[in-house]
Amino acid sequence: MTVRYTEQPERPLAPVGEAAFHQWVFPDGTLWTQFFRQGAGYLLRFPELADFEVSADGCTVQGFPAPGVSSPTVEHLYLNQVMPLALSRQGKLVLHGSAVDIGGQGVAFLGESGRGKSTLAASFATEGTRFLTDDGLLLEWLDDRCMILPSHPSIRLWEDSQDALVSERTAMAPAVSFTSKSRFLAGPGIAFCDEARPLRRLFFLGEGEVETPTIEPLRPAEALIELVKHSFLLDIEARDMLARHFDALTRMAGLPFYFRLDYPRRYNALAAVREAVIRHALEQKESIEHEVV
Amino acid sequence: MKLSDKVYISSQAMARTVGDETVILDLASGTYFGLDPVGARMWQLMTDGQTLAAICDTLLDEYEVTRETLEGDILRLTEELRAKGLVSLA
Repeated sequence: MTVRYTEQPERPLAPVGEAAFHQWVFPDGTLWTQFFRQGAGYLLRFPELADFEVSADGCTVQGFPAPGVSSPTVEHLYLNQVMPLALSRQGKLVLHGSAVDIGGQGVAFLGESGRGKSTLAASFATEGTRFLTDDGLLLEWLDDRCMILPSHPSIRLWEDSQDALVSERTAMAPAVSFTSKSRFLAGPGIAFCDEARPLRRLFFLGEGEVETPTIEPLRPAEALIELVKHSFLLDIEARDMLARHFDALTRMAGLPFYFRLDYPRRYNALAAVREAVIRHALEQKESIEHEVV
Repeated sequence: MKLSDKVYISSQAMARTVGDETVILDLASGTYFGLDPVGARMWQLMTDGQTLAAICDTLLDEYEVTRETLEGDILRLTEELRAKGLVSLA
């Protein structure tokens, strides 16, 4: 990762003179993140939790906890929200997604918060299929291959997923205070892949209103719209950045491996989902090898 | 709106072609608008600053369609794009 991060002493989240140029709001209307300009750089505010100052080039971030907010909470916000945004300011491509390594190939799952990205990645990882990231999918082109870079070796799960998937022996990172999600560190019970893998399959997660796992291909234009929706972009008003970002996603959308994956959101259905995904990913690998031969 | 009108692409529209379709990003609203292959071809001709009538003539050579149907389709798409602020007419 190429962001320099330092945590500063806590300070009150003082009112900002100018209006936010952008904000993220939860579906229930709760304000999650406000984006302000600060000199040439940015101030990202998570109300009642922390401020982050991001340099204009996205290379330096300073975190300021609100009074009484713990350091793990701020670090967690940094890793999952702020770092992807800072990387996007550097021109890097970061998507809201998790990914696993199936037979040496990167298989990614994209979806809004709550769609089950982390749960699915954890479900693979606890069964021995190594995960590359549980959120914040960082992609980089290496010649003509789009590579998934491994992220922080931990998985965040809601309590019910923890009970269903993770054994009590698995090491837990310090708890964070703003969600009931806990972070589990990779180890013997949660397999992690620490090397980059070529992206070979990208699944957009559906709403879960099906009885058995379904996998449907997406047209490139549909994939492009979904990629735009699921990408991190710090400065949505910087037209040159936006144009480059759109170009990068358009290049990605031209790749031939976008699908919509849907499955019932029950823990006892996950084995069938894993099986369907693995079979689908390996089928494609075989057909590619066959073509090469 | 008349067929003799010229179409101008708004500065709030950023379009990219992928496969044979086009996706337009509306910078003002942050929403996306997808065009199928025929719509994508119309958009491409609109970016050349042609009149709707000239676009219609070009497409008549490319697709097996009656002039009446095509004119209706072009006017409908143009109106939809104009309503979203993605094009203007003059």
